[in-house]
Amino acid sequence: MVTAPEVQNLLKRGKAYILHTKYKDALAVINRALQIDPGSAEGWCIRAAAEIEMEKYTDAVADCDRALAIDPNYAEAWSKKGLALYHLGQLESALTACTRALALNANDAAAWYIKGVCLDDAGKTDEAEIAYAKSLELEIIRDIDAEKKRVGK
Amino acid sequence: MKTTMPLSKPIRSFILETEELLNKEILLMRNPEAPPGGSLIDAYTYNVDKNIILFPSSYIGLLKDFVIAQHCTHLLIKGAAANTSGYRVFSFDKDSVYRGMRQIYLDALKDEVKKEKKLPVEKLLEMLFILYRQFLEAINELPWNPLVNARVYYQMTQLRKTQLYILLRDGKKDMDERMEFEDIIPRRYFVLDKSMFYARDLFLAKTLPADQLTPVVNIPQMKKFNHLEVKEMLTTRWTHTAWYQSKIFGDAMLAIMEKHLDADWSAPASIDYYAGLYKTGVDLSNNLLSYMTMKDWFIWEKPGHLSAAQDKKGEYEKDALKRIFGDLIAD
Repeated sequence: MVTAPEVQNLLKRGKAYILHTKYKDALAVINRALQIDPGSAEGWCIRAAAEIEMEKYTDAVADCDRALAIDPNYAEAWSKKGLALYHLGQLESALTACTRALALNANDAAAWYIKGVCLDDAGKTDEAEIAYAKSLELEIIRDIDAEKKRVGK
Repeated sequence: MKTTMPLSKPIRSFILETEELLNKEILLMRNPEAPPGGSLIDAYTYNVDKNIILFPSSYIGLLKDFVIAQHCTHLLIKGAAANTSGYRVFSFDKDSVYRGMRQIYLDALKDEVKKEKKLPVEKLLEMLFILYRQFLEAINELPWNPLVNARVYYQMTQLRKTQLYILLRDGKKDMDERMEFEDIIPRRYFVLDKSMFYARDLFLAKTLPADQLTPVVNIPQMKKFNHLEVKEMLTTRWTHTAWYQSKIFGDAMLAIMEKHLDADWSAPASIDYYAGLYKTGVDLSNNLLSYMTMKDWFIWEKPGHLSAAQDKKGEYEKDALKRIFGDLIAD
């Protein structure tokens, strides 16, 4: 009998593979998870992350859309969609996706950064500066937390 | 440039400029094991056909861009040297290891006499080569840091806030390193190690300029030396503390840095400009070594010499111990 923890476990392994740049292995376990539970928005979103790393940007957008069809308020899927669209050169759509991601989760450093890059490329330097600053602020907080964890404070 | 991650406009232009000047592709790679400052695997040091910049996977925005900017600048300096006068690094051989370890041993002896709790002989012997190699690593890295950072500050103005955060963070981290060995390693070497970081930070504080980077402001152990009054200096035995001594030696090293690092940090990029920066770095390294009386400890060689020497380090260490202690050392 299939259980949700199995899916969670496969997705966790998929994320670990992505972190260690083993994208094919990541896709294999994520696909197994999605076969078991095609209704997992997280599964589609993680698959999109692997596809972005493999430069399959169109596939990544499609998978983000699948995730968003299941859960329209899934911030991470909007963020990944923004990144994939940016790579496809669709700056306006990428910007819209990032704005949606940030409306749902204002603490997404990656979304702020992609938004900054899109604005910068569109010549909106002042707005880009604001987005970059927000992204940096969040990255620094994360970096300080990671350092504290590392030294065991 | 090969990468799957978004990059801000200025860093993209800088990478392209670096590739164009060096006529070599740059590969950007995320790596969960990369150190916070990233790593550079360059074609001038290693046997690779592309220049590779690795950075921590957790860096997704401007932190990543800054790490890339630092490594691109260092890459330009190395590449320009390789394409003109030749790229060299400090390396070691049998004789230089002996000279360094012998000096450390003599200094350690002087310190041990004054210590109540003596260092066990095996530990003392082990420490000699460890300290020698730490200074090799430091002299191959530290002099290039102020040079690279000054250039990045003036060339990548959009990254200044990011740079300040990283420099403040690294300044504290560098000063915190090896604190647990303060009572073990000879005072002279503890002080010289801290002095180099002190001088680097103070140089950057003045050059960027960024007052927050001043060691007596940023480094907790040195804050007490800010606005020290004459009366305090006379009534407290500051001069006996390693941190105060680090400040004094560091001030002297700063003078050396200011004398030798007089480049035009915002000059237009060219191979000649970066080759000039390489010469400046070599000059600074030599002068810092002279100041620390370590001039004959290391030798300028091609990077291949250093990697071959690393393979023989055990042999060199054993040989040096034999030459220092004679038959007291068993094979």
